[in-house]
Amino acid sequence: MSVPGFEGFEKRLELRFFDDDNSITSSPMGLRLIDFESLDQVLNEVQCTVVSAVANRSFDAYVLSESSLFVYPTKIIIKTCGTTQLLKSIRPLIHLARNLGLTLRACRYSRGSFIFPKAQPFPYTSFKDEVLVVEESLPKSLCYRKASVMTPSNNPSRAWHVFTASADVESDEPVVVVEVCMTELDRVNARSFFKRKGDEKSNSDSAGKEMTRLSGIDNINANAFICDFAFDPCGYSMNGVDGGRYSTIHVTPEDGFSYGSFECGLSLYDDGHEDISEVLSRAIDVFRPNDVSIATTYGGEDYNHEVTKRVERVLAKKLGLKCRSRLMDEFPGSGTVVYQSFTPRRK
Amino acid sequence: MGGVVSSLFGSGEDAGTESEPSRLLKFSSSARWQLHYNEIKESNKLMVVDFSASWCGPCRMIEPTIHAMADKFTDVDFVKLDVDELPDVAKEFNVTGMPTFVLIKKGKEIERIIGAKKDELESKVSKLRA
Repeated sequence: MSVPGFEGFEKRLELRFFDDDNSITSSPMGLRLIDFESLDQVLNEVQCTVVSAVANRSFDAYVLSESSLFVYPTKIIIKTCGTTQLLKSIRPLIHLARNLGLTLRACRYSRGSFIFPKAQPFPYTSFKDEVLVVEESLPKSLCYRKASVMTPSNNPSRAWHVFTASADVESDEPVVVVEVCMTELDRVNARSFFKRKGDEKSNSDSAGKEMTRLSGIDNINANAFICDFAFDPCGYSMNGVDGGRYSTIHVTPEDGFSYGSFECGLSLYDDGHEDISEVLSRAIDVFRPNDVSIATTYGGEDYNHEVTKRVERVLAKKLGLKCRSRLMDEFPGSGTVVYQSFTPRRK
Repeated sequence: MGGVVSSLFGSGEDAGTESEPSRLLKFSSSARWQLHYNEIKESNKLMVVDFSASWCGPCRMIEPTIHAMADKFTDVDFVKLDVDELPDVAKEFNVTGMPTFVLIKKGKEIERIIGAKKDELESKVSKLRA
């Protein structure tokens, strides 16, 4: 291909802040008090914009022109795809938080491997350069740092890159984040994410709703409220909101560089919520991809090996996906990451 | 401090403060809201109720759009209710995600939009105001 297609693989940034009780400007709403103009300016630097949004008592969820933004009182997650300049958001966000009396506690930057690596602007042409840029943007108080590239032996071109920096050596964040990256999506399934002929000028909100229904995305988590958006002429994004739990799906359906991602954050102490393997199985089944990778981050020290094995069992049994590689790494103050790669079992 | 205060009260620009005549009505008491609701119910007017909260980022984001729509669609009644000030009304209308826009005609809910969906809201208001 002489002209690269759209890059679906996202860059992900997570910033966590201390709950500073002594601050005169502190409020239980924390980062949610950042005014929209300021957020918009930051997104402008990154080269993206808000296309839809919804909120509940726990957090604000924004669908962006290139993925998603989640704002919790002491945590921000931004995920952007294409050729966006995500790392440009670090300094302004730290500054805006400081104005609200919030001090940075931890930073995590992660991504898979780009389908079109040469189409990326500097510093995204090399993970080493990205790490340098992140490090320069962070205060010295985040002294526990680690960069790691997890490379599966069966597929070295689909590595998982992580950089973490933390002010604490222990992490107490009881959140598990699961990031699923899928390529070579089933062509028939991918058709749901193209706007229908004559629909090009139609309302992207209602077209998005139609795609959510048609694709079966609304069945992944029946409890979640879905804020969706359909792009012209194809492409789809959604944020799911379920109490404090977020989920997000982004689809680049074009054949040749098709990509789908599913991410969700869940609490380890969440009883009454469905088993994560079932949720993942339903999400992956929407796309029936030929290649799946799952990066699971255990924020606290509670790595659960049973969950890892159960996910492999469920995906094998329900979707015929065989786990070809399982890698694990530990990050000071940022927990454990498990990276699994799957491809269909040959019949 | 100034930065925090302005963000608590909506976007930096004049967001319908008491001193400025705004077509967007705001009710802080259940009783006053009920009175207004009963009044509109008698007419054929479309009423758009915007359920929001001071801490809801997407609500602040869409606020200028709601003011603009209120100015544009002068035959439509626009009301803003804060879910913390009127929790009983929010509960009565089953508000979970925010902002939630409930479109009411003759006392009946005819449409509901959850989220800061500018285009969908404008298109539905335009269609249902007749």
